Amino acid sequence: MTTAYREPEKGDPLVRLQRVVKTFHRGSEDLTVLDGLDFEIPTGSFEALMGPSGSGKSTLLNLIAGLDRPTAGKVLVAGNDLGAMNDGQLAAFRARHLGFIFQSYNLMPVLTAAENVELPLLLTRLPSAERKKRALIALRVVGLEDRVNHYPKQLSGGQEQRVAIARAIVNDPTILVADEPTGDLDRKSADAILDLLVRLNTEFKKTIVMVTHDPAAAERASVIRRMNKGVLQ
Amino acid sequence: MTLASIAVRNVWRNRFRALMTVLGVAVAVMAFVMLRTVITATNVAVTYAAQDRVATRHKVSFIMQLPRRYIDTVRAVPGVRVATWANWFGAKEPRHPNDFFASMAVDTDSFFEVYPEMSVAPADLARWREDRRGAIVGDVLANKMGWHQGDRVVLRGTIYPGDWEFTVDGIYRATQRSVDRSQFIFHYRYLNDSLPAARRDQIGWMLARIGDPSQSGAISRAIDAAFDVQDVQTTSMSERAMNLSFMGMMSGLFTAIDVISLVILGILGLLLGNTVAMGVRERTQEYGVLRALGFLPKHVTGFIMAEAAALGAFAGLAGLALSYPVVQQGLGRWIEENQGATIPYFRIEPATLALAFSLAVALSMLAAALPAWRASRLTVTEALRRLD
Repeated sequence: MTTAYREPEKGDPLVRLQRVVKTFHRGSEDLTVLDGLDFEIPTGSFEALMGPSGSGKSTLLNLIAGLDRPTAGKVLVAGNDLGAMNDGQLAAFRARHLGFIFQSYNLMPVLTAAENVELPLLLTRLPSAERKKRALIALRVVGLEDRVNHYPKQLSGGQEQRVAIARAIVNDPTILVADEPTGDLDRKSADAILDLLVRLNTEFKKTIVMVTHDPAAAERASVIRRMNKGVLQ
Repeated sequence: MTLASIAVRNVWRNRFRALMTVLGVAVAVMAFVMLRTVITATNVAVTYAAQDRVATRHKVSFIMQLPRRYIDTVRAVPGVRVATWANWFGAKEPRHPNDFFASMAVDTDSFFEVYPEMSVAPADLARWREDRRGAIVGDVLANKMGWHQGDRVVLRGTIYPGDWEFTVDGIYRATQRSVDRSQFIFHYRYLNDSLPAARRDQIGWMLARIGDPSQSGAISRAIDAAFDVQDVQTTSMSERAMNLSFMGMMSGLFTAIDVISLVILGILGLLLGNTVAMGVRERTQEYGVLRALGFLPKHVTGFIMAEAAALGAFAGLAGLALSYPVVQQGLGRWIEENQGATIPYFRIEPATLALAFSLAVALSMLAAALPAWRASRLTVTEALRRLD
């Protein structure tokens, strides 16, 4: 991998979308979800993307996270054009710069909390002891230092999501993307998760992009953007 | 923690399914081991056949007899060190009429010189040679029948009708795998003297030990040439060649065993393939998560292949663990005791175990190749959407 990643400079927008088009092919039909979208997210922001199903918010999140490529236009994250990267470069970019938080946690059931958090670090050259140490630090940040050896089935939904957040932050990513992070949780657990995200944003200066249907969750973000039919309002 | 160690843990995620697969494959592996052992055990006779022994029989058929005087001619052939003869007796133990064992009337002076791999204590051998009704029996047969040295034994003749009384003078033990340990050996004189004059002095076959095994072909030809002008002609060949020709007669059986082995391997592959494919389908979303975290398609492929290899290894080991008591201790002992004349040594060869284990692992990985390839080709978003 020869691509040199450029860290964002102060005042740079961390995410910049320029005339982004995303079209999906469904059989013989083409479905354009995003059509010439221009959009910026400044470094250190906590943004909530809201909108009805099919509005394009998950598509936008996938483009920002480097999980998908635009049909046209540019997606620049931390100054890097994701559309110009090959699959290997994109994977390396995600490993280094992205932290993912999914609605259904997506923890591996055969791994303990600490092992789940350690998982992304397997891609690094860190020695085992260092990986374990970092996983414990991440679990401490999310308040689960007393659950390190618990398996996902031994944890509550809220605790599972906190493990998932620890996994997302263990490699100290540039940006956290969260897809309905409170969608499977009760109100109390959801509030605890949102408190944690706010803390990661304010205390650890993490840029966060969160897709949500929940107005209460969106209220906790510093910026709320609404999407409808591929257009940001 | 590595991806490989996670893959090994993944095998037991669905414990019931994994256990059923492991048991199913273990039974298939055991059946494979059993069939391969039939072939290797049958080959033992060829592998361990004495190269310095030449067998001579009637030219037409094994079941036709030769004049006893032929032995003198064989002993005079240059290159022959010692020669003996034997006659098939074919008796049964009246209390065990369904149990087969070889019973032979032999020349007491020379038989054990030609078969040094049948070990008899010198004192027992000396006693037997002086006892016209004496018998030397194999240790497996003696154990099975509960015979001990000095016991009086009555056998019922099938070829030579009537009850024949013997005394067990000694027990022979095998010093080589190819020896049938269930034979009953007694005096030719006892049989011959009991026959009507017209049936006397006939023998079943002759065996000669030769000085130079490389000369077995020439000596065989010389023996047969000596009887060319006689009324009864002979066919001679080295013991190994004789066993090979016997094996050749069974080539159809071996082909059938090979075909069944392939069928078993096919079943094994399908069992493993089904389990791996179900596992991959259920975990596609997890592979999507791995890819999102930065793992590459090759990591996903390796992850699935490692899990398949681990499943195959567990199943293979279970199959081997099952094979030892069932094939070696159970079936093997029964065959050695009851079919010793054809298969005297029925034990699992280490090479068979290694082959069965390797095939279980290799087939599991082969069965996983397609699901792994498909999973690695999914885009991250496709994989994440699965089962969502």
